[in-house]
Amino acid sequence: MSYVIVVNGLSKKFRRYHPDRPFTLQEAVLGGLGRIKPVEYLWALRDISFQIESGRMVGVFGPNGAGKSTLLRLIGGVGKPDAGSVTVRGRIGALLDLGAGFHPDLTGRENVFVAGVISGLTRREVSEKFDSIVGFAELEEFIDSPVRTYSTGMLMRLAFSVAVHVEPEILLIDEVLAVGDIMFQRKCIEQIIKLKAKGCTIILVTHDTAQIRNLCDEAIWLHRGRVVARGPTNAVVDQYIAEGFAETKRRTPAEWPVAHTDAGTELRINENRFGSLELEIRAVKLLNGKGLPINEIKSGDQLCVVIEYNASQPIPGPIFFININREDGLVCYDTTTSGAGLNLPTIQGNGKVKLYIERLDLTRGLYYVNVGVCERDWAYSYDYHQRVYPLVISSDGGEKGIIHPPHRWEIEGEQKLQTTMPFRRTP
Amino acid sequence: MIIPEFSPSRRLIYIFDLLFELVARDMKLRYKRSVLGIAWSLLNPLFQLLVLLFIFNMVVPVNIPNYFSFLFTGLLSWIWFQSSLLLATGAIVENRDLIKKPGFPAAILPTVSVTSSLIHFLIAIPILLIFLKLDGIRLTSASLALPVAIAIQFILTLSLAFLLATFQVVFRDTQYLLGVFLNLLFFLIPIFYDASKVPERFKTLYNLNPMVHIIEAYRAILIRGELPDNLSLLLVGLLATGLLIFSFKIFKRASYYFAEEL
Repeated sequence: MSYVIVVNGLSKKFRRYHPDRPFTLQEAVLGGLGRIKPVEYLWALRDISFQIESGRMVGVFGPNGAGKSTLLRLIGGVGKPDAGSVTVRGRIGALLDLGAGFHPDLTGRENVFVAGVISGLTRREVSEKFDSIVGFAELEEFIDSPVRTYSTGMLMRLAFSVAVHVEPEILLIDEVLAVGDIMFQRKCIEQIIKLKAKGCTIILVTHDTAQIRNLCDEAIWLHRGRVVARGPTNAVVDQYIAEGFAETKRRTPAEWPVAHTDAGTELRINENRFGSLELEIRAVKLLNGKGLPINEIKSGDQLCVVIEYNASQPIPGPIFFININREDGLVCYDTTTSGAGLNLPTIQGNGKVKLYIERLDLTRGLYYVNVGVCERDWAYSYDYHQRVYPLVISSDGGEKGIIHPPHRWEIEGEQKLQTTMPFRRTP
Repeated sequence: MIIPEFSPSRRLIYIFDLLFELVARDMKLRYKRSVLGIAWSLLNPLFQLLVLLFIFNMVVPVNIPNYFSFLFTGLLSWIWFQSSLLLATGAIVENRDLIKKPGFPAAILPTVSVTSSLIHFLIAIPILLIFLKLDGIRLTSASLALPVAIAIQFILTLSLAFLLATFQVVFRDTQYLLGVFLNLLFFLIPIFYDASKVPERFKTLYNLNPMVHIIEAYRAILIRGELPDNLSLLLVGLLATGLLIFSFKIFKRASYYFAEEL
């Protein structure tokens, strides 16, 4: 087994200084040098050990301040561990802050050379890859214009293009996939998958567990500088979500006035409603294609889910999620705002979030639309309504299973007209 | 610890290319939007030259032969030294995004500052040669020693650049204090006067300043057309090299903390 990254007992502490720490020599001389020493140390990482095999993609997640970025930086050789060691074999590429070293007054061409060399290529290698870099960024026409005339999207494309052309053996990615438009993100992800296919080892740091599920082979869950869990992605993320649900239950108030939905269902705290309620879901509406409230649709019809919320205090970057569950609890569809690349700003007051589903191709039966909104790190829910909004899906055929795609049967071959056999459904 | 798959020779090419691109970036940025372009770099020394010429020819005459060339030689060397240090002091603090980039060698940044200023120095050399010609001075084979003097000044400046760039990370007024200090130092280096005029009892102290010997060396080579005082130049060279090793070590040790201090 060849490990390309070996992290062994890694610890890193940050120095916290006296609030009056002198930042100039003048202050130091006048105020005395006593305050220049750190007053305390904060452990950003504590005794972290893991190994990553060549060609694996590993997701690192955890709440803010968990030490994710610090870990990534130490692996990249920026800074020095206070204990333990990091051994990395191979050329490191980084998608940390895209556009580092780009200067607005230089042209795209000049910036590509500077950024390419800063990222670890020689000038000759940059020349060889130049056309490919510009082509990938789709900026052929603008490459000789100053970068200050570019849009943010153009700049990101160019920076990303340079970064992936370094052809790293180890790629460190920190949240960058959260920038740019959806098309660009998709392109980035495709390119990352290509790099992985070529055998590049990748570490992805993100808040977004959905992204980790989609992309990573393994996951590491960090909390306050320690590894909480590590292993196959789904197992770790499931554990995280289960923990999130437990945390939600801990934060759910014991008493809360019973509310009623439009359909008259009672919303009872700790029964079908969970969450810390700093952000409340006031109403949920299910609408058909014509915008009329419904609780029954035909399979394949359009459905719009409207969530009306009220945030009594500023809520930074909440994630709204909606899932459609069969009566027996099977999750048929699950979507989140962050999974769709929507990063909400800090919200406060009243607002609406709408989800449009163009076709809901589920087999007929009774379903529940569960809606919720959770903290930006998925640490707990603000409000979650479980099995409150029923949705009946009807269809003409007698299909079984889960999905009900648009379909038709066609029979070819000779058929004896006299003895027409009825089609038999295979059970 | 990072074990790269590259050979040392590629590393060397890479470091050179990085230096080249960053120096080129400095140059382009400085002259991109100006009509005069790179000629701007000559204006600063030429104006300083004119002012000093006026004062020390007309107001307080110093009576040094070939004063035009004498002054310009000293001035160019000084401006290179001064602007390198001022630039290098901010080199780390002003490039925080590069410092935080994995694999980026922080030590390149002060080197870029000193090299950019060196290029301005080199651009002005043809003008200096014209002045020498106007003063009727002929270059001799001693000019071959010029690169040695330049190399020694480079090493000396670079070693100070590493220390100052590190210091600026801790104390953000280093650049300002350096400006004050350099203003004083200007008078303690024989730029507009002859070092032989320094009274005997101060001479030992005065000669402790390595820049004194470097400027004297330029003058010996270019104006008097003779080899410089080899012993003092050798000592300055050794001192500069020792200082470079020392300050590079300090810089290297401190550089692990740059990313978190910025």
